[in-house]
Amino acid sequence: MKSPLSNTIRELRAARSMTQQELADLIAVTRQTVNAIEGDKYSPSLEVAFRIAYVFGVPLEQVFRYDPPRARTK
Amino acid sequence: MTRLSLQEKMLWVQLLGIVVVVLFYGHYLVHSGPGHHYFHALLIGLLFLFATFRLILRRSSGNVAEDERDRLIASIGARWSNIILWLGLVTILVLYWDQGSMRSAHFLIGILFHLLVLAGSVRIIREIVAYRMSA
Repeated sequence: MKSPLSNTIRELRAARSMTQQELADLIAVTRQTVNAIEGDKYSPSLEVAFRIAYVFGVPLEQVFRYDPPRARTK
Repeated sequence: MTRLSLQEKMLWVQLLGIVVVVLFYGHYLVHSGPGHHYFHALLIGLLFLFATFRLILRRSSGNVAEDERDRLIASIGARWSNIILWLGLVTILVLYWDQGSMRSAHFLIGILFHLLVLAGSVRIIREIVAYRMSA
């Protein structure tokens, strides 16, 4: 099942020539966690989400986007 | 495929340990006569010693899982393991209720041994699956 959360971390990282490990060190998680967040396979806590936005110096909504799942039609 | 994190590598090592214990246990059962409670008691004792040693080591070095995803996955594994342990405990109580006694201490040690191995295996496998699903 696809996560309703998507993000632009990969693009933001690439624009700053930052590696996953560097970002992981800055937000105090493992590189594997950054990889999972980038791939929309893990939804971070609010605190980590804010840390990511803070590191890139952009508002939270520029990093994460929420696409509500479509309601099932009966 | 992403490289394995330290926590995930530890899980694979633990799984390997469980497989070795099960293989050794199978070999022991085939090549020994009845009454293998000493083997059970020895392994349970070793498990408790290992868990205590790991806890002390973690407390003293502050080497706890800091990553929130690691913590989440560890809690999922612990939940599954606890379910198995509770089911086992209920089974033991039902057996006691049904039979009025535990037959023998050997029987109880045997059940505890299998329960711990099962709970440990389930926890490890569930955590590995969780890591792979969110890798």
